[in-house]
Amino acid sequence: MSEVRAVRNLRICSKDCLCLYVCPTGATDTETGQIDFSKCIGCGVCSKACPSGAISMVPYQYPKQQTKDDLVIAKLNKLIQSKVEQEQMAEYIYKNSNDSIEKQLAKAIIRANRLMTEDLYREAGFMLPQSKNTKDFLKNLLQQTKDETLKKDIEKLIDLLDFNE
Amino acid sequence: MKKYICPICGYVYDEEKEGIKFDDLPDDWKCPLCGAPKNLFKAEAIEVVVSEEDDEEELREMNYGEISALCSSLARGCEKQYLGEESKLFTKLANYYKSKSEIKESSSFEELVSKINNDLETNYQKARSVASEKEDRGALRVITWGEKVTMILKSLLEQYKNDKDFIKNTKVYVCDICGFIYVGDEKPEICPVCKVPSFKLLEVERGA
Repeated sequence: MSEVRAVRNLRICSKDCLCLYVCPTGATDTETGQIDFSKCIGCGVCSKACPSGAISMVPYQYPKQQTKDDLVIAKLNKLIQSKVEQEQMAEYIYKNSNDSIEKQLAKAIIRANRLMTEDLYREAGFMLPQSKNTKDFLKNLLQQTKDETLKKDIEKLIDLLDFNE
Repeated sequence: MKKYICPICGYVYDEEKEGIKFDDLPDDWKCPLCGAPKNLFKAEAIEVVVSEEDDEEELREMNYGEISALCSSLARGCEKQYLGEESKLFTKLANYYKSKSEIKESSSFEELVSKINNDLETNYQKARSVASEKEDRGALRVITWGEKVTMILKSLLEQYKNDKDFIKNTKVYVCDICGFIYVGDEKPEICPVCKVPSFKLLEVERGA
């Protein structure tokens, strides 16, 4: 198996279709617009030929993520805790308000806080889904839950993700 | 003559060039680039000194709300790598834990503002000083963006308190990358906080 595969960014793609002409296996020609990974051999010809720069070569295996200092993680966790609480407060306001404008503002606040939390987690040791931190987190969840469907989903994830450390 | 700087997008108001003192601008004056309100602007060159007392961080289990946010973050990570199935599974987990997470009872925008103040006055400052000391530029990046988004959030809640109708005849957008909230008819060309192109600023619809 090759080390990389081609992916197409549909928002950038200007349908010049050169990838269709140069691809040796027909992987670029699909009904969904996405490249057929089972056919892609990772040669990169499509990416080089693409005039709009919409095709990039993505690795199957990622390098280990950067290690983070414990104190930095602790401070970011403090912010995470606060943002999660704020999301929940806005959630309460959203659910209990009858005013459409207040609800709209609460919805925006819920979304903003969720996005900030997600971003904080990326910098607090969870940048890469294939990291050891993610693996430990999922294994921990698996132990804690009693919900059978959830267990299956977590096991599936652990199985699918190509952990790299 | 002083210069005043927009803390969100970095726009500089130069009193000398403009010929009008910053203080003499009307209260409803806004940043011409990103729409940040006048009261957020800061005079140039203010050093913020943070006292270095260290509170010990207790080790604790993640709560359901936190688990949900970590899962939705990992779902985005998988999506970016074009790992569709993994992304869907993480989203499923995120929704499951969100439904289990408790909602803060009887919350109000006032209480939200006091949490926000605590972030701006304490949590961001402490995080910034540690991230600088450890030279963690990634952490500094998330702190810089988050602090700006939080400042705007605060000023929006203050405006809402003074005039509940200020968003009545306009639109609300949230940047899908950094969480910046923009209130206005036309969204800016790029997000003033993270500089992503405007198509990633998504409208928050008003329900019935």
